[in-house]
Amino acid sequence: MMPGRRDVREVIREEPLRRREIQTMLADGAKTIREISAQLGYPSEEILFWIMGMRKYGYVAEVPEVTEDGYYRYRNADREAF
Amino acid sequence: MDYDVLVIGSGISGMESAIKLGDMGYRVLMVEKEASIGGKMILLSKVFPTLDCASCISTPKMAAAIHHPKVTTMTYSEVETIRRVDGRFQAEIVKHPRFVDEAACTGCQQCETACTVSVPDQFNSDMVARHAAYIPFPQAVPKKAVLERAGTSPCTATCPAGVKAHGYVSLVRSGEYEKAFELVLQSTPLVGTLGRACFAPCESECSRGSLEGAVPIRRIKRFIADRHYQSKHSPGVILKAPKGQRIAIVGSGPAGITAAWHLARKGYPVTIFEAEAIAGGAPALTIPSYRLPSAVVAQDIDNLRQIGVDIRTGVRIDNVQTLSEQGFAAVLMAIGTTASVRLRVPGEDLEHVQSALAFLQAVKTGKRPSLLQMDVVVVGGGNVAIDSARSALRLGANSVRLVSLETRLDMPAFSWEIDEAVREGVELSNGWGIQSISEDGVELVRCTATLDAEGRFNPQYDPAVTQHVGGDRVIVAAGMKPDSESWQSEVMVKPNGRIMVDADTLKTSIPYVFATGDAVTGPSTIAEAAGAGVKAAAQIDEWLRKAPSRLSGEAKPPKVQRDAVLARQTHYAERLPVKADKALVFKPRDFAEIEPGLTEQEARYSSGRCLDCGVCSECQECIAACPADAIHLDRTDEHLATMVDSVILATGFKLFPADLKPQYGYGRYKNVITGMQMDRLLAPTRPYHTVLRPGDGKVPENIAYIMCTGSRDKTVGNPLCSKICCMYSNKQNQLIMGALPLADVSVYDIDMRTTGKGYEEFYLQTAEMGTNFVKGRVAEIVEKDDGNLIVRYEDIEHEGQIQESEHDLVVLAVGVQPNHDVERFFGPNLLGLDDYDYVNETDETMSPGKTNIPGVYVAGTAAGAKDIPESILHAGAAVAQAVAYIEGRRLHI
Ligand SMILES: Cc1cc2nc3c(=O)[nH]c(=O)nc-3n(C[C@H](O)[C@H](O)[C@H](O)COP(=O)(O)OP(=O)(O)OC[C@H]3O[C@@H](n4cnc5c(N)ncnc54)[C@H](O)[C@@H]3O)c2cc1C
Ligand code: SF4
Ligand code: SF4
Ligand code: SF4
Repeated sequence: MMPGRRDVREVIREEPLRRREIQTMLADGAKTIREISAQLGYPSEEILFWIMGMRKYGYVAEVPEVTEDGYYRYRNADREAF
Repeated sequence: MDYDVLVIGSGISGMESAIKLGDMGYRVLMVEKEASIGGKMILLSKVFPTLDCASCISTPKMAAAIHHPKVTTMTYSEVETIRRVDGRFQAEIVKHPRFVDEAACTGCQQCETACTVSVPDQFNSDMVARHAAYIPFPQAVPKKAVLERAGTSPCTATCPAGVKAHGYVSLVRSGEYEKAFELVLQSTPLVGTLGRACFAPCESECSRGSLEGAVPIRRIKRFIADRHYQSKHSPGVILKAPKGQRIAIVGSGPAGITAAWHLARKGYPVTIFEAEAIAGGAPALTIPSYRLPSAVVAQDIDNLRQIGVDIRTGVRIDNVQTLSEQGFAAVLMAIGTTASVRLRVPGEDLEHVQSALAFLQAVKTGKRPSLLQMDVVVVGGGNVAIDSARSALRLGANSVRLVSLETRLDMPAFSWEIDEAVREGVELSNGWGIQSISEDGVELVRCTATLDAEGRFNPQYDPAVTQHVGGDRVIVAAGMKPDSESWQSEVMVKPNGRIMVDADTLKTSIPYVFATGDAVTGPSTIAEAAGAGVKAAAQIDEWLRKAPSRLSGEAKPPKVQRDAVLARQTHYAERLPVKADKALVFKPRDFAEIEPGLTEQEARYSSGRCLDCGVCSECQECIAACPADAIHLDRTDEHLATMVDSVILATGFKLFPADLKPQYGYGRYKNVITGMQMDRLLAPTRPYHTVLRPGDGKVPENIAYIMCTGSRDKTVGNPLCSKICCMYSNKQNQLIMGALPLADVSVYDIDMRTTGKGYEEFYLQTAEMGTNFVKGRVAEIVEKDDGNLIVRYEDIEHEGQIQESEHDLVVLAVGVQPNHDVERFFGPNLLGLDDYDYVNETDETMSPGKTNIPGVYVAGTAAGAKDIPESILHAGAAVAQAVAYIEGRRLHI
């Protein structure tokens, strides 16, 4: 793998560590993967792994409409991370 | 166990074989190594060319197989060997534990939701996380949870106190600090004490130690203890009123306390008798406050009072009889090593000479002597000597000289402790013994060796080399032993004062008197003594109830090997350990704690460095969440043997690892995926909510397919056509156009191979729907900053000109490869393989499915690339061969 792109296993392992950070950020409104990436400073592909993991286990959900440039936005769901 | 046919593998070929054989009345054993049957087909979106939903047609087959009265299915199991015995086959099979009671599990998934460990989901081609506790996929059969455990994590396997170190680390990573505290409490109430003064053997074993440095496992424990005690003054453990036989514990050190903790939680009324005025043993009485403040130990001890343990301090017990007269049914001697070993040199009884234990105890319990302006000599080379020397500095000593027999390298104290002492101003005299002590200092004699030829402690001296060291105070730390003299008339005691016990039962020479901890082993550590306390509690419980005790601990899988852990990733991003940052000053003058605690951020970050060595961390969250009480961590592999008449190999294929074509950038470029990954994105049980590119979640608008990735390609050793990639790409193209009507799809191919009924029509339909088929050989792909990809290809229809086009997602139509698993069943070279390592069909044209071993048949893609209809057909052929073989043999017999 290319330096700069982290091993998938490592990225996924970190998801529990990032949940609260991401939820805190989404508290002021739904955001796209790119927007979350820009605000938190982690690569967008890593944010995607975390968001999809969080989505699977009930921490976030997608907003049904796509933005004009072709992205979905994600919002906090019922489950709260510590 | 006895069956007619063993079917290995439960993909479509295996299931079809098993069901057909079962329908004909044969008894079948189907063995699958994954936790669900179904193989790859159940993971597909739809099937070509009918576009039937794959799971809609797979699930009835899976149900038919699992419920078939003639078919027994073993999942999460592997065939290890198959041997011919008396004309039949004997198969050795290992059933891996799911750690979930299949009968009780309802498939509610609450364990998975609660689990604290995230790993890539292999059933979603690693595109999303799953947890260590998981249900393979929504249509799994059986739909039962499984816990992925690669072994016991090194940290947990090493902890002498049995603390589930990996468990609390993973809980802290999830922000569950209180649960982490509770998990440590399951082993010992000494959470804060161990968090500060444990020598942390777990960290020496930590796999992250091979990278930038170990996870600070001990300091994370301190963090959770500090956090707990900041707001709570109870352990949060609720117990029923104690009942049953009363137990007396003599000594309130880590061993006694931990034993009391477990016995009280089991419901026994427990009384601890402690000779000193303060409970806690060495941690409370001697370990200096700059390492372990008294308040921390007191908080830990308070946990016991909160659950009703009666701790009577200032009560010295000198014999067993007193206790039996008070009606105690069992007695535990946990008296530690509170007596000092004497030097046996002239002058040892002079007034300015003191034992290290007496000195440290006076210091810790508030009777601090002033050593202002004094020169202090400390005798000894162990940790107790170091503690004494550093304490003496803090009491204002002018100088502190530590005299030890050993060289600095051989000193028994930890090297980091010696370093810290030196940095604080302790001077070392290594390689000297004590000849005598006088009013104004000590006479030293050169020590030439500490051990004899047999490795026993037997110091040798050179009397010709001596030295006088001046000193106003001498502190002797020459060793410790149990204060057991008064007990010798009742229980058997060794000459060195240690109490003799049966190594398994911990019973002394009196049946109801047990002994444990340092009193038995000699000086050890807090964690070892706590572990000894757990063992004693189990033995006492077992003896009183005359039944095995659950306190004995559960069977653990073997420790996972560090190399195996590190091999799971191709590379590791650097994550430096948080600095230890101890506040070391030259000649410190107070007993303030020298090690800072971790901040919340540091604790989270540090736990995030954990590699989840055992995968499951044993955090126990799943156990707490499971409403069916179905999870049991104490299960182990089951080995069984079975006899069968015939074997059908249906182990399927492997997908071509796309990173073997580095010019396509798979694994490096974020938006290059495989055909299998696209099938997952299109399936109803997909990893995302729709088709998105993995680089940034964009809905793709311009998708490229690169055909024949890893097929018809001598550069990767596979000249064969994989037969399925053309058609699955066509299928996906049609589905993409349904799901993303605005997306453009281009397919770069050499030619389209559409060799089945209705396949050519299906391809034409794909083209009509708008897929752009480009006759082109792709030379390379380059990633742009925005994640888009430039595809460079040789344009076959335009004289091989090099062309470029830009896409926002590239799908590599990867082909198939043989599954080498099949080779090991029969031993080396017994099963014939073809030139490409698929199982060889000795007479493919006339007797499909037949291998070189009579009675062994191959079904489906284990023999070479096939699509679903072909695999089913092939399975039918293998079944017919197997039946003919079985019946033929029976006729002959
Ligand atoms: C100075 C020093 C520093 C240490 N530092 C560390 C460290 O940093 N980390 C580490 O892991 N280990 C350390 N150790 C070792 C660790 O403290 C011991 O291994 C551990 O305390 C042993 O536990 P125990 O319960 O067996 O005995 P102890 O802790 O010795 O407890 C025994 C208790 O029994 C009481 N008792 C004895 N006889 C009687 C009687 N007849 N009646 C009633 N009560 C009685 C004693 O007063 C004492 O309270 C250190 C030890 C010393 C001395
Ligand atoms: S013990 Fe913890 S880590 Fe292991 S499966 Fe259960 S919840 Fe997951
Ligand atoms: S990496 Fe984690 S699981 Fe492995 S030994 Fe270290 S703390 Fe334990
Ligand atoms: S929580 Fe219990 S019953 Fe539910 S899936 Fe997990 S093991 Fe099965």
